Amino acid sequence: MADVMKKVMKFIQSMTFGLILLGLIVVLSMIGSVIPQNEAVMTYVRNYPSFYQVILTLQLNQIFTSWYFLLLSAMLCVNLFFCSIIRIRKLVQADPLAAAKSNLPMIELTEQGIHNVKEVLRKNHCKEENGIYYKNLFGRYGSFLTHLGILLTVIFWGLAMYLPKTIDSTCMPKEYVLLEDGTRIGVDSFSIEDADGKLDYSSVIKIALPDGSESDWTEIKVNHPASFHGYAVYQQTYGTTGRITVKDGKGNEDSFYVEANDFLSADGKNGILYDNLYPGIDETDGKMTLITNTSGSYPNPVYVFTTVIDSKQEEVMLAFPGDEYEIGEYTFIFEQPVEYPGLRIKKTPVVVNYLLMLAFLIMTVGLYLTFFLQPVVVKVTDTGYAIAGSKQEGIRLQLKEATRNEVKEAC
Amino acid sequence: MLDILFFSGLIMYFASMVMLFGGNVFKKEKLLTIAWYVFLVGLALETAYLIARGIVAGRLPLSNQFEFAASFSWGIGIMLVFMHYKFHTEWIEAIAIAMTFLILSYAAFQPRAVNDLMPALRSFWFGFHIGSAAFSYSAFMLAGAGGIRYILAYKKDPENEKLEQMDYFVYRLISFGLLLLTITILTGAIWAEKAWSAFWTWDPKEVWALITWILYAIYLHLRITRKKTGTFMAWYAIIAVPVVLFTFIGVNTIMPGLHSYGAIINDLL
Repeated sequence: MADVMKKVMKFIQSMTFGLILLGLIVVLSMIGSVIPQNEAVMTYVRNYPSFYQVILTLQLNQIFTSWYFLLLSAMLCVNLFFCSIIRIRKLVQADPLAAAKSNLPMIELTEQGIHNVKEVLRKNHCKEENGIYYKNLFGRYGSFLTHLGILLTVIFWGLAMYLPKTIDSTCMPKEYVLLEDGTRIGVDSFSIEDADGKLDYSSVIKIALPDGSESDWTEIKVNHPASFHGYAVYQQTYGTTGRITVKDGKGNEDSFYVEANDFLSADGKNGILYDNLYPGIDETDGKMTLITNTSGSYPNPVYVFTTVIDSKQEEVMLAFPGDEYEIGEYTFIFEQPVEYPGLRIKKTPVVVNYLLMLAFLIMTVGLYLTFFLQPVVVKVTDTGYAIAGSKQEGIRLQLKEATRNEVKEAC
Repeated sequence: MLDILFFSGLIMYFASMVMLFGGNVFKKEKLLTIAWYVFLVGLALETAYLIARGIVAGRLPLSNQFEFAASFSWGIGIMLVFMHYKFHTEWIEAIAIAMTFLILSYAAFQPRAVNDLMPALRSFWFGFHIGSAAFSYSAFMLAGAGGIRYILAYKKDPENEKLEQMDYFVYRLISFGLLLLTITILTGAIWAEKAWSAFWTWDPKEVWALITWILYAIYLHLRITRKKTGTFMAWYAIIAVPVVLFTFIGVNTIMPGLHSYGAIINDLL
């Protein structure tokens, strides 16, 4: 039993196990990129009538959060842990020059060959100590740092993905979003285009916490969120909505943001049934069609509505901002449309983000050390040379080239 | 004027490719030398084109499929020149120049209009993320070219002394590519957090970048720890090239996601 456990532990620590896990993650990722993820169940029923049951049963529709994907990731972490943390003590304690001090099999050279070897090592900026040439000894930590960086990245990435609370909300200018904990995100203004008419998507917002502290009014744009005491507010989406002011004969008036199928009426029988707001009208070829889509501000907005008299829908009408329409004692004034932002509000432990970035840095430094600061340890005697370790391919090729015709034949 | 520079560069690459082919088939050393200089002229024209386009656009030319493909082929060219003069890697040039030409030809079929940078791309990370991606793909393509050259040389003469050097270069190119791809993925994650509020969204482009990263990480584990070399690793480097191309072209073309710029503007700016 103990033997079996030993073998299992050895396998879990092995590179083979790590490579198998990586291979499985690749296969699952490919499947996850081909099958649309996190769609409604009916989407799979409609698009994959023959095997939607397989997709749903095996959780292929949410593969990246499936139990087996998470299990693979967890096992990869265990493997990385054994590949990195466990080995650090041995790595630190070991003398990097020890191998060169031992009896290494030497490549016997002519005198000229020895000279060439020393010349190559000198050109490579190697230091010399008792016939042992070396450089980049710190590079031996490269593999450890890379694996540690990946391990920390997976851990902190998981925390950064699943710890934050995220809320998506639209908010009209001069209004605010009230969060569960009493925090308010106020929006002062929003514009789709900048002063030059270029797409910009910019909101001016303020974050006010329940304890009374609040941020300054801050401009946010895509790529430029605002942060305040763990809250981050992102410019996520946007919209344009119509606004209609209603006046009665007595001088009272009220304004409304309108949505499709809103019925504006005092008595429930007479009024206007709002249909939609369109960016403009296309009148090419003498035909008039409504423009339904634009990525910027509405260039020439048009309201479409139906008049309702005595509960009967009478006539479909168009109106431009500034137009007025009277039904009975009520006057409906079509205002300039209002552009509003869609905000993503995220509450996150900021320290996790910083730790994740530290993990990124460790991984990058580790990779650089592994591949570009590989340790070089070469023992040179009066008769030949030997390279300590098997990973020093670059220097091996250089020395081989420099001593091509200078190697003594073995007896 | 911009188009003249672009197509002149493309024609020079084509001419160089044909001359290299002829020079190798008919064993004409002089033709090979001329082909190299024609390639350098092509690269100079492409460099001038990219600089001019950057000046006209007021930013780095990396914002869409055309600009990325042009920068990608330029990356291969620049790395090839560096390798030529530093390491005398003439053996890789015929295949690498053909790759440069093919990628620039792909660019030629993409819309070339210079557009304003969309808000989602206006970021400090723009140059780091996309620039490192272009150079990382270039390194992987060159590794694939090295792999092809290795296989051809091995078939001709398994005792060829250059084989070891070729094998080593493929490994070094993949090491360089992986470091850059790591930078691409990590800077992309930081950028994504600023733009979309999450470091990682399992967007198809992210997933395929991760797949590419893992494939090359496996290559390096096999190469460094398992000491795998030779034809197996050469084939590995060759077979990984379609994955790189799919990550670049295939994902953008057939897998809509947050990286499909042009289609996302109404949903996520």
